[in-house]
Amino acid sequence: MIELEGVSVVVPGSRHGQPDRTLLGDVSLRLPEHRVCVIGANGSGKSTLLRLLNGMRQPTAGSVRVNGHSTVDEVRAVRAQVGFIFTDPLAQLLMSTPIEDVELSLRSTVRNRRERTRLAQRLLDERNLGHLAHQSIYDLSGGERQLVALTSVLAVEPHVVVADEPTTLLDLRNRMALRRTFAELPQQLVYSTHDMDVAADAQRVVVVDGGRVVADGPPVESIAFYEAAMRVGP
Amino acid sequence: MNTHTSVFGIFEPGPGWLFRLPVGWKYLLVLVLSIPTLVVAQWWFTLACLAVVLAVAATSGLVPRRMLRLGWMLWAMLGVLFLFHLATLHPTAAVMRPGNILVAVLAARLLTLTTSLPVLMDALATALAPLRLVRLDPAQAALAVALMIRSIPFLMGTVDDARDAANARGLGRNPARLLTPVMLGAVGYAERTGEALQARGIGDIQS
Repeated sequence: MIELEGVSVVVPGSRHGQPDRTLLGDVSLRLPEHRVCVIGANGSGKSTLLRLLNGMRQPTAGSVRVNGHSTVDEVRAVRAQVGFIFTDPLAQLLMSTPIEDVELSLRSTVRNRRERTRLAQRLLDERNLGHLAHQSIYDLSGGERQLVALTSVLAVEPHVVVADEPTTLLDLRNRMALRRTFAELPQQLVYSTHDMDVAADAQRVVVVDGGRVVADGPPVESIAFYEAAMRVGP
Repeated sequence: MNTHTSVFGIFEPGPGWLFRLPVGWKYLLVLVLSIPTLVVAQWWFTLACLAVVLAVAATSGLVPRRMLRLGWMLWAMLGVLFLFHLATLHPTAAVMRPGNILVAVLAARLLTLTTSLPVLMDALATALAPLRLVRLDPAQAALAVALMIRSIPFLMGTVDDARDAANARGLGRNPARLLTPVMLGAVGYAERTGEALQARGIGDIQS
């Protein structure tokens, strides 16, 4: 269960004399649902909200708890439970090839090197990525990279997967493939998107605007609210 | 985004003897093949070492085409060195200076093309174990080296990106104009890598 209680994130103004900027203001949410989507315009606070969930961003006020663990006081425990997927998988893949990247994730849990390599190969095979195991990550397509990033995150068996606009850089085929993969995940999934079809896959959609939650409910209602708010012209 | 062939290459499993050789022996082989060229300092010795490195590679199934795929930037640098010494009437130096660099890089590739990065990291962490005496974590030092190897193609690609952007805006080929975007690209890359480490809890786990 993810719980945010009166969470605010305030950062100093970018120039001297400028007022502080509120990225999130007094957000309180309890997220027991299996699939939660966060939508909102660019700069609305979606990424800040998601980054709070694995302690990459610390709240300046309030508290964030994941399965009872505070993201401030127990950040290691939180990161062990919450896997994070970036918009650009290249920013997330730290090793030169898929198998090396998955092995890097496994270093903390599997001490034996040969066992680690075998397990990494098996995890890649399970996602039909086995044939790409030794290719340079720079030679993979965007969709393949995103699936490799997901495999690396899932290798440590997190309880929650947080994905920040994971489909933004993908073409239609890869977007559909990732949606299928997400649908099969046993973990709780919290993600943000600008794609309303992807948002509709969730059980609950939270709409963020100006750092505040402005709508929160079933996908049909939240998406209708958001589309009405974003409408331009007559 | 442009990316480059890594100077160190990418490991792919193979059946050759070099692939089966323990990593410690491979490190030793790199030193044995590259250091004598600096000590002997003879043009013919450099060429002989070059031939030996390529022969060692070939006996393990690493064909010259794969061994010599170093990316155009390194080849250009070696070419400039060669021409500079030739123009200053030092033909032996024209062979030795770029030749010794080439021998060292190719000897290093014998290691990196036949050994996976996790194996290299483990070996490096073992070799750096004395760092614990000064309260440094050898595993983190090894991870830093692995991240450096991974970053080379990206950082070389940022030079191409900056040049493409300059050309698109008609800013000409002045290398000085590339400095700022390349530096910003490198800083941005470092920030993203830091975030990824943080998100994956890798620094937390290793420390």
